[in-house]
Amino acid sequence: MSDCEIPDEYVQERIQNVVVFMCNECGQGSANTAGVARMSYDAAIRIIRVQCTGQVGPIQIMEALDNGADAVACVGCCLGACHFFNGNVISMHRIKLMKKLFKELGYSDQFVNQYTSRAAEGETAVGDFEDIIDRLTTAILDKGTIKDGC
Amino acid sequence: MDVKVFQFNGCNKCFNETVLLKQDAKYKVEFVSDPKNWKGEKVGISVITGYLLPNDLEHMERIKNNSNKVIAYGDCPATGGVFALANQKGHDVKPLATLIEGSNSVYGCLAEIEELKLAIDGRDVPILKSLCQVCSRKATCDYLEKINRQIEIEDSETCFNDLGFLCSGFIATECKEKCIDYNTPCRGCKPSIDRSGIRMLAMFGTLAGNIEIATEHSVKGATDKLGDDDDDLTNSLPDILGNFFRFTLPTSSLPKGRISSSGTLLEDVFIGRLIEEIPLITGLIGGAKSISFTLKFIKAYEEANQIEVSEQTKKYRNELLQLEKDLQDAIIKEDASKYKEITNKIRFIAGNMNLSNVFFGGFKSIIDPNDDFNNYKTHVFDVVDGTYKNGSIEYTINPAGIIKEIKINEELL
Repeated sequence: MSDCEIPDEYVQERIQNVVVFMCNECGQGSANTAGVARMSYDAAIRIIRVQCTGQVGPIQIMEALDNGADAVACVGCCLGACHFFNGNVISMHRIKLMKKLFKELGYSDQFVNQYTSRAAEGETAVGDFEDIIDRLTTAILDKGTIKDGC
Repeated sequence: MDVKVFQFNGCNKCFNETVLLKQDAKYKVEFVSDPKNWKGEKVGISVITGYLLPNDLEHMERIKNNSNKVIAYGDCPATGGVFALANQKGHDVKPLATLIEGSNSVYGCLAEIEELKLAIDGRDVPILKSLCQVCSRKATCDYLEKINRQIEIEDSETCFNDLGFLCSGFIATECKEKCIDYNTPCRGCKPSIDRSGIRMLAMFGTLAGNIEIATEHSVKGATDKLGDDDDDLTNSLPDILGNFFRFTLPTSSLPKGRISSSGTLLEDVFIGRLIEEIPLITGLIGGAKSISFTLKFIKAYEEANQIEVSEQTKKYRNELLQLEKDLQDAIIKEDASKYKEITNKIRFIAGNMNLSNVFFGGFKSIIDPNDDFNNYKTHVFDVVDGTYKNGSIEYTINPAGIIKEIKINEELL
């Protein structure tokens, strides 16, 4: 890795498309609540509504990344509160394997993540979005994203 | 029919197998083991074997311009094959389809000669069943409680995945080599679907749904999130890439690896792999030397860790080594019937040409029905870290059983 400094503007420029798969229950619910409360979040966040995060797997994550996403995250129901059965837990297992896979390939594991949120609390979704951006920033500073530069 | 077989880089196993085309009088077969110096004349059908690198492009173009049809035979030219695991360390093994357009592919490691004949004749390969459909083991697809890197060979009826023993049969088609018949789980050399590795990863993520994973409290979100720490899931799968993407890394849609290379391409294939997977990998890439190559790895570990090897195991291993010498003679003489006879004998002992039956401490399945299997049955062995050396091979494994360093001073045939 080179020693060149990465300016903040460069990091901002690099955060353009963050795909967030949100489940139709708690995930999307909390985003709706955040909207009602007029909370703001990063403009790079692109929400894709899915029935359950259990529907999202490595294929969808890789397709998002191959098509230009800088980071991918899933936001599902809280642990033990999946509205189906355990879709959020299954999704977590898959994403954990993806993280390990990226590490094995020499990339950062910070641009693929999974979160949970509560439908009644909009700040949980907004907090998750902030964490996604923080983690992506870490990955960019480590020069560990797929599109890494510098 | 005018057929030319070109061997590029790699182990020569598929190249050697094409000698069987000579048994069929309708094919006029010629072998080109050095395509870089091939003058270039008109050919009916060109068969490509061995893995390809970007600098093979000009030779490939010359072959394509002179041929009516180009067929990639085996996983190396078709999907990247096992040598493409070196892409994890920044190498650039490429499948044929990314170098030139309009080629046909015959998948498998070792690929089946009957399918190559169909491809040469311009006939379609019959639709093959999924490996699980032809497997004698029965699956329940229940969530796993634990992932096992090795299992004792006792249960021959339960699906490997149900036993927590990773098998990629879900994404594979039926094949002749059929590792699963020799208590060896499938690694998906003959995929039934594109991006098979990543699909199998998704499937396995689901099956592992009951295994403990690390979660942490998200300060900003005030809820739980997936943690970064190592957990039961990641600790029990130390080599995801080697298990799920063994044959299909360049076609898997994953980005190229950025781990720094520490040696030759062949050595980079081994680094990061697990000790218990080594016999199968060496069996794949040793070419006509695969038996001695595999046994060198195994013996180094067995001798250093006092793993008991029975007389009958030694007898069968010596028979295999003798067969390997005979096979090399048959290849040099391009004697198809002799090649077939010897490979059948190797298959009888080692299960298949990938040597699925050969393992540390013995064999994985009974060889002769009249034998007492207990005389040479293999058992689960302990992973002991250290450096192991045997002749031209030296490797170091860490406490998790991952190969960290390797030196191979050997030319593959």
